[in-house]
Amino acid sequence: MTALSNCMDLWAIVPELILAGLGLILVPIAGLTRNRWRQTTTILAIVGIGAALAFTARMLPWQSTAVFCNTYAVDGFGTVFKLIIEAGGLIGLLLIAAYFHRSPQVGHASVAVVFVTLGGVGLAAALDLVLIVLFLQMLSLASYVLVGLVRTDDRGNEALIKYFIYAAVALAVMAYGLTFFFGMSGSLDLRAIGKALQGADPLWVTVMAWVIFAGYAFEMTVVPFHFWAPDIYEGATAPVAGFLSVVPKVAGFAGFLRFALLALPGGLARWPLMIALLAIATMSLGNVLALRQHRLKRLLAYSSIAQAGYILIAVVVAGQVDGGLSAVGFYLAAYLFMNLGAFAVVAQIERAVGSDEISATRGLSRRAPVLALALAIALLSLAGIPPLAGFAGKVFLLRAALDGGWVWLAVIAAVNMVVALYYYVAVVAEMYMKDPVSEEAIPGNLGYTVVLGLTMLGTFFLGILPAPVLRLTGMLSQLVR
Amino acid sequence: MLTIEIFLPLLTGLIVLALPRSRPAAIRWTALGGTFLTLLLAIVLWIGFDPGGVALQWRMTVPWIPSVGASYDVAVNGISLPLIALTSLLATLVMVYVLPERKRVKEHAFLFLLMEMGLFGIFSSQDLLLFYLFFEIALVPMYFIIGIWGHERRLYAAIKFFLYTRVGSLAMLLAFLALYLGMDPHTFSLPAIIAAQPLADQPLTAGLVLLGLLVGFGVKLPMVPLHNWLPDAHVEAPTEGSVMLAGVQLKMGAYGLVALMLPLLPQTTRKYGWVLLIIALVSIIYGALAALAQSDLKRMVAYTSVNHMGYVMLGVAVAALTTKAGIRQLALNGATLQMISHGLLTGGLFFMVGILQSATGTRQMARFGGLLGRIPVYSGIFGLLVFGSLGLPGLSGFVAEFQVFGATLSLSPWAAVLALLGVIITTGLFLRVLINVLMGEAPADMPPVIDLNRRQLTALVPLAVASLLIGIFPGVILPVIDAATRLLFQGG
Repeated sequence: MTALSNCMDLWAIVPELILAGLGLILVPIAGLTRNRWRQTTTILAIVGIGAALAFTARMLPWQSTAVFCNTYAVDGFGTVFKLIIEAGGLIGLLLIAAYFHRSPQVGHASVAVVFVTLGGVGLAAALDLVLIVLFLQMLSLASYVLVGLVRTDDRGNEALIKYFIYAAVALAVMAYGLTFFFGMSGSLDLRAIGKALQGADPLWVTVMAWVIFAGYAFEMTVVPFHFWAPDIYEGATAPVAGFLSVVPKVAGFAGFLRFALLALPGGLARWPLMIALLAIATMSLGNVLALRQHRLKRLLAYSSIAQAGYILIAVVVAGQVDGGLSAVGFYLAAYLFMNLGAFAVVAQIERAVGSDEISATRGLSRRAPVLALALAIALLSLAGIPPLAGFAGKVFLLRAALDGGWVWLAVIAAVNMVVALYYYVAVVAEMYMKDPVSEEAIPGNLGYTVVLGLTMLGTFFLGILPAPVLRLTGMLSQLVR
Repeated sequence: MLTIEIFLPLLTGLIVLALPRSRPAAIRWTALGGTFLTLLLAIVLWIGFDPGGVALQWRMTVPWIPSVGASYDVAVNGISLPLIALTSLLATLVMVYVLPERKRVKEHAFLFLLMEMGLFGIFSSQDLLLFYLFFEIALVPMYFIIGIWGHERRLYAAIKFFLYTRVGSLAMLLAFLALYLGMDPHTFSLPAIIAAQPLADQPLTAGLVLLGLLVGFGVKLPMVPLHNWLPDAHVEAPTEGSVMLAGVQLKMGAYGLVALMLPLLPQTTRKYGWVLLIIALVSIIYGALAALAQSDLKRMVAYTSVNHMGYVMLGVAVAALTTKAGIRQLALNGATLQMISHGLLTGGLFFMVGILQSATGTRQMARFGGLLGRIPVYSGIFGLLVFGSLGLPGLSGFVAEFQVFGATLSLSPWAAVLALLGVIITTGLFLRVLINVLMGEAPADMPPVIDLNRRQLTALVPLAVASLLIGIFPGVILPVIDAATRLLFQGG
């Protein structure tokens, strides 16, 4: 009994407690409030996630340690990823709230966002196989709710079913693999598994590493587990698609990196090579398929797949060179701002025009100059044009890959970045170089303005003055061993 | 001071954005005022530059991303200073030229100012990451300028331009990163890398880096076979866009070859110098022949750019191959002067073609004849620019090409003969223009033409005067260039 109580390190999980408490309080509030009072849930959720963010930031200088009987990590790696996830949750929630302003879904959406964020935060810090599965499930279950928010929409329902089945299968396959690792090492602790696997049969380690990877790959939208993304983004509403393209992806990268660096130390099972090959497949397929899209949400879905491929090139060297982890973190932070910025504009177009066809943005620069500018900046940043965040992020990714000696990987990534420019710029051309079909203005509200302001600020700040964020992501190398 | 020069266009651009859309004249004059100020500042920088002093002057260094070893580090040398002056001059003249244009004035002015900032940044960056940043900042506005204000096939030309330059810039970025990783501690500082020569004992890496730089700068130059974007971009771009594209943007590549590639990788460049020589000769002859085949005046001027920039490449190749310091300096002086001369003359020629097109709606050479009798002022300036372009003594083109040829001749007479072939072809084609368009019989269906107005004269006279000045008194510019070529490459 004393041993158990020694493990109750509640001081170490204040942000998680805030998020969990928030979720539990908001469930009844979201169900009971009506009409104007629905805003209460959203406001509470925003304040709560903001508080969690503030507390997480205060944990930055803490010493690395493992709490709750070595099942949960408090380290720079976890804290920085938590910050990115919570920031994504906050901006995503603002966007969802702006989109569902005064509609009945806004309360439930807020609760779901809180739980997805909590799942992501937990995944970034979990050291224990059971906790990993638990937090992944929490992330997924709440995501189902978000995808199915608009019950009357057939495409939305189809998307929900697809998402549910894909996720369930991927996570089940992963859990199956984790049981093998438990069986081979006799421990649930990632670090103990890492030590035990050194002497294990390499064939089984490799096979099971692949099997486990399925779950993470699903969240990161890595080929061949990416199929859900375009369908789900298309079926879900634009703000939800934006949120799902950021928070689960960051959580997936955080979770996989912790798993790979601790349970497969020193490139065990040759995972760096495996990730390098998947990086190429992911970015190439994402880019090539993005070229053929006519709908913004599908385009951004394939773009986000390609972006995941770019990030993987630094994951490859995460255990090998100093700047690897930092590059991953920096790029994810940049991606958060630019991708949510793009989805914020798409959300407004979708609301106003009722379509997310690329042709719906025709002549947008004259219909809604601010929106067009914001979307152009977000897309050019995704394409890696300076002085925007995506440019700095890509420089750091390529630098990490070259530093690790993966020259061919960096060259293929650079070729992909050229291809990608085409489809990003096609949208920009549609907005700026063609005449508008309608002169009607596009209505906005305060929520959109705040989201656009934050994302554009982030996109420029990370691009022009990357040093502060880079210092922050440099703390990712503080990993509990 | 240099920092003010770099960011003054951005500041002007932001003021322009704040002005109301309903006052296009105010926007135009503000933009003109801003660019004129940059021209004045460039003159101040020039006066304050000491040709006998250190290589890098007006230097300013501020930490930018310390953990990565990148800093905001700007300075001018004798190669970049004339290019900064050329940029500010052309930007000002472009703003004069477009004063009456009324299509989406705000965006137009802002994009040109943004591009001007990028160009200043390129020519003064002493940090490779900063250089890359400005390199792309200068390119992106051109995409919009072609795509929004261009002619019929503008969307195609714009995306082609963007994709080509993107290939080049990413190749360049990888090369920069390799140089950066070769340094210990890692740094992007250009003078530090030049001093340390990190890849001197890694021939394979150095070769790949050279390839990356060559692709990066070669696309912009443009050199055959990476030139394919150029005719489309130039022809579809609006007049003011073509002027900046040919006048200054091509020099981004030329400057990169002279001021970055050569000092960064002297041995490797020498090793592959014969490749550069062949590419240069092919560009010279191909550009001349392709220009000869055109019936469209603008397309013809565009192809002569391939030919003219080939001389810059030739100068670089000779400088890389020669072992004599005097020859190297001669070649590089010629190459640098050729950049300036081409900026003045071809910038002017694109103005001329643009004026003719906006007055008559056509650019077909066959539609014109006997212009000299009808619009004498226009024809006079046109003739002067054409003579400059074909290398007539007394104009800037001659001084530049003479130096490059002199250096080439001392290295390899055969190469000089082949390059001379290019000159003969361009002379022929320019003379054909003179004979058919300015003199000769006017075709029966020739559209009515009007002579230059005051605004157009204001935009053109400075270019012609500057070219004459350099042609007659090369002393006004050569000591400055000489200072850089002497100091930067004394090791070699």
